[in-house]
Amino acid sequence: MIVVGELSLWIALLMATWCATVSFAGGLGRRADLIRSGERASYAASAFTLLAAIGLWKALLSRDFSLAYVASQISANMPNVYVFTAFWSGQAGSMLFWALILSLYSAIAVWSNRASNRELMPFVTGTLAAVLVFFLATTAFKANPYSRLDWLPIDGRGMNPQLQNPGMAIHPPNLYLGYVATAIPFAFAIAALVTRRLDAEWLAAVRRWSLLSWFFLTIGIVLGMWWAYVELGWGGYWAWDPVENASFLPWLTGTAFLHSIMIQEKRGMLRKWNVTLVVVTFLLSILGTFITRSGIIESVHSFAQSPVGSWFAAFLAVSIAVTAYLVATRLHDLETKAGLESMVSREAAFLYNNLLLVGIAFSVLWGTLFPILSEWVRGEKITVGPPFFNAVNIPLGLLLLGLTGVGPLIAWRKASLSNLRRQFLVPALSGVAFTALLLALGMRNGYALVSYMLAAFVAATIVQEFAKGVGARRSIHRESLPIAFVHLVARNRRRYGGYIVHAGIVMLFAAFAGLAFRKEFDVSLTASQAFEATDPYGRRWRFVSQGVSTAKTLNRLVTAVALEVQRDGKPVGFIKTEKRQYFDSQERPTFEPSTEVGIKTEARLDTYVVLAGVRDDSAELRITFNPLVIWVWIGGALMALGGIVVMWPQAERRRQSGYAAQLRPATQAEEAVPVG
Amino acid sequence: MISRRDWLRASLLTVGVGSVAVSAKLRAQQGSSGVVDTSNLFAMDQAAARSVRLPPKPGASPAMNNEDRDALEHRIRCQCGCTLDVFTCRTTDFSCQVSPAMHRDITALVDGGYSAQEILDAFVSVYGERVLMAPPKVGFNVVGYVLPGLAIAVGAVVLVILIRRWNRVEPRRAPVAASLDASPDELARLEAAIRDDS
Repeated sequence: MIVVGELSLWIALLMATWCATVSFAGGLGRRADLIRSGERASYAASAFTLLAAIGLWKALLSRDFSLAYVASQISANMPNVYVFTAFWSGQAGSMLFWALILSLYSAIAVWSNRASNRELMPFVTGTLAAVLVFFLATTAFKANPYSRLDWLPIDGRGMNPQLQNPGMAIHPPNLYLGYVATAIPFAFAIAALVTRRLDAEWLAAVRRWSLLSWFFLTIGIVLGMWWAYVELGWGGYWAWDPVENASFLPWLTGTAFLHSIMIQEKRGMLRKWNVTLVVVTFLLSILGTFITRSGIIESVHSFAQSPVGSWFAAFLAVSIAVTAYLVATRLHDLETKAGLESMVSREAAFLYNNLLLVGIAFSVLWGTLFPILSEWVRGEKITVGPPFFNAVNIPLGLLLLGLTGVGPLIAWRKASLSNLRRQFLVPALSGVAFTALLLALGMRNGYALVSYMLAAFVAATIVQEFAKGVGARRSIHRESLPIAFVHLVARNRRRYGGYIVHAGIVMLFAAFAGLAFRKEFDVSLTASQAFEATDPYGRRWRFVSQGVSTAKTLNRLVTAVALEVQRDGKPVGFIKTEKRQYFDSQERPTFEPSTEVGIKTEARLDTYVVLAGVRDDSAELRITFNPLVIWVWIGGALMALGGIVVMWPQAERRRQSGYAAQLRPATQAEEAVPVG
Repeated sequence: MISRRDWLRASLLTVGVGSVAVSAKLRAQQGSSGVVDTSNLFAMDQAAARSVRLPPKPGASPAMNNEDRDALEHRIRCQCGCTLDVFTCRTTDFSCQVSPAMHRDITALVDGGYSAQEILDAFVSVYGERVLMAPPKVGFNVVGYVLPGLAIAVGAVVLVILIRRWNRVEPRRAPVAASLDASPDELARLEAAIRDDS
C-alpha cells in the first residue's frame, strides 16, 4: 500500500497537469471533448491524491521507519491517535494534506457545477488543477513524505509533545480546510475574469465556498487559540505570532468579502472590489503558507529552513502577476452599475466595515513583514510583537465592533432620522447605561470601558432584532416563544445566522477586554506551604501546595504539583499542573520538557497555574487570574454555529431574494419593515 | 484601463526585483543549516544568551521594585526562539536557560541603579533592536508605526470621494421583469422573498 501511495502521488501530479492543460485548452477553444476530459482528470487526480494520502497513513500506522517522514514525526510508543495526526504535523505530510483537501474540494466543485456555469467551469477546473499541480509538484520534488532513509532506525524521533494535544490534532486540519477553500472562489474569479462574465453569476457560485472557508478558518483560529492557552503555558491565547497572523489575514479579507458581496447582490455595486477581495483572500492564504513554510520570519511555529519556501515565493509571484493582469485588463467590465444615495445607509456602513477589515488586514500584514523590510533597509533585525499590534489594532477593532451593531440595522439606500432613532435609541441607551454601571462599580480602564459600552450597544441591537422578529411571529402566527424563535431563524437563516455570528463577536470582544484586568503572581511553594492572592473581582484566594510528585506513564515522566484551592475561605477543589519529559521506546529523552497547565474555569475568570520547574523540593509556580477567558471559547463556538445557520441549504434559496432586489428598488416602507 | 504593454513592463520589473530579493533571503537562510525537516514548532537555542553587565553606579540602590522590573521584562524578548518576553518565558518554561540568564542580567542592572530606559539601551547595544518586543519609535521604525494609520486614512478619504461620486450618479433603474428568464410563479416567489428580506 505504501508503494501504491508513492506511485499515486506521481500519477496524481500527471493527472492534475493533464487536467489543467486540457481544461484551459477546452475552454479557450470551446472544445467539449477536452472540457469533459478535464473534468474526468480532476476526479482522477482527486482519487490518486487520496490513494497517496492513504499510503502515508498506512506507513505511519505501521510505523515504517524506513520513511524519513515517519521516522522524524513519530515513535513506536506514541498513541495511535497522534500517529494518525502526524500526517499533518510535519512539512512533507502537511503539503500532501493540502493537496488532498484541494483535490477533494476541486472534485466537489467540478461535480456540483457540472450542469451550471458552463462558460466558467473549464477555467474553474483548469485554475484549480493548476494550483493542485503546484502543491503536488512541491510535495513530490521538494518535500516528499515517501523519501526513504539509507538505514532503518530502531525507533522514530517522536512528535513534539506540545503537538500531542487534542486541540492540535484538529486545529491544523480546520485551518487547512479554510485556507484551501479560498482556492474555489479564486478559481471562479479567474474564470469570470477570463470569460469577462463578471455579473452576479460567479458570485452565486462562490458565496457558499467563501462561507465554508470563513467557517473553517474561524474554527481553526479559535482552536489554535485554545491550544496555545492550554498547552504552551504562557497564559494567553493570542501573541500576534507571524503564523497566527497568517491565518488571521485571509479571515479578515474573507469576512470583508462576505459583507461586500451583499452590496453587489442588492445594488450591483463593488464589482471590482469583490473580485479583488476574493483574489487577495486566496493570495493571503498562500502568503500565510509561505510565511509558515519558508522560515523567512521568525515564529514559534517555524518549519526550520524549509526548502519549499522559494517555490511558494515563485508561485505567489506568478499568481499575483496573472491576477493583476486579468483585473487590470478588465477594469471596464467591472464598472459599477449603481449609485450610492447616502453616506448614512447600509451600503455605506458595509463600505466602512470593509475599510476597517482591510485596514486591519493591512496593518497585520505590515507588522508581520516589517522585520524583513527593516532588515533589508537598515540591515538591523527587529521584533514586532504584541505592543505594536495592540497599539494599531485595538482602536480599529473597537470601531469595527461599533459598526457590527450599526450595519445590520441601518436602512438600505438612505437612512432617515426616524429610522435611526427607531433602530438605535434603545441600543445606544443600553451602551451608555452599562458604561455608567461599570464606572459606578469602579472600572477605570479606558479601553475596557469603551469595549464594554460598544459590546452592550451591539448586544442590544441583536436582542432588539430577535425581539422584534419573535414578537411579530407570535402576534401573527400565535406561536410560543421557542417555536417563534426557531421559525424566525429558520425562515431567514442568512440574516439571523449573521446576528448569531455577531453575538459571538460581542462575546469575544468582551473577553478580550477582560484581559486588561489580568493579575499574575510568581511564587515558590514547598509541601503544605500556602500562597494568598486577591483576584480582579476582590475575592481572596488561598493555594496550598500538596507537594511535588513524579510518575512514569506510557511515553513520559511526569512531575506534578497539586494545589488545594480556597476562595473566600471556602474550598473549591484542586488544581494540578505538570511538567512532562517525553522519551522514546528506548527510554531516551525526546524534546525539551513540556508544560501541562492547571486551569480552573469559571464564568468570571480562569485560575491558571503553570509549573515552571522544581528546585530543592520547591515548586516554582506562576499563578494567573485570567478574567472572562471562557467567553472566548463560547464566542468562537457561537460564531461557528452562526456560520452553520447561514450556510444551511435553505439560505441558498433565500439568496435569490438578494438578486431579486436588484430588479425592483426597495421602497422606504419596505426597508422599515422588520422581518417576521 | 492600462495597456497590456504597460502592465507587462511594470509587473516584470516588480516580480523580478521581488523574486531576486526573496530568493537571496531564502538562500541565505537555507545555507545556514542542514536541517531538512522538523515539526512545526521552533527549536530552542539554549546558547543564545549573552552577557549584559555594567558596573553598578556609585552608591547604587535598586532603581525599581519587583513589579516594575517584571513590567520591564515584558518589554524584552527572550532570545531562545520562543518569541515570548523574558518574564513570560522564564516563569513558563523552566527548561529555557536563556530567559533566566537575561533575568539575572536585568536584576543586576536594576540593583546597580540603572533606569528602565538605560537597561533597555544596554540590551539593545548587546543584542540589537530585535531584543525589544516592539521597535523604538525612531528613524525608519516610524514608518512601521505610521503607515497602517496613514493607509487607513487614505482609504477613508478615497472612500468618501467615491461615495460622493456615486452619490451624484443617478441610481440606475433595475431591469424590468420582462427581461428575466423566469416564470410568473418564480417571480411571485421572489417577490414574497423580498418582503421577508431586509
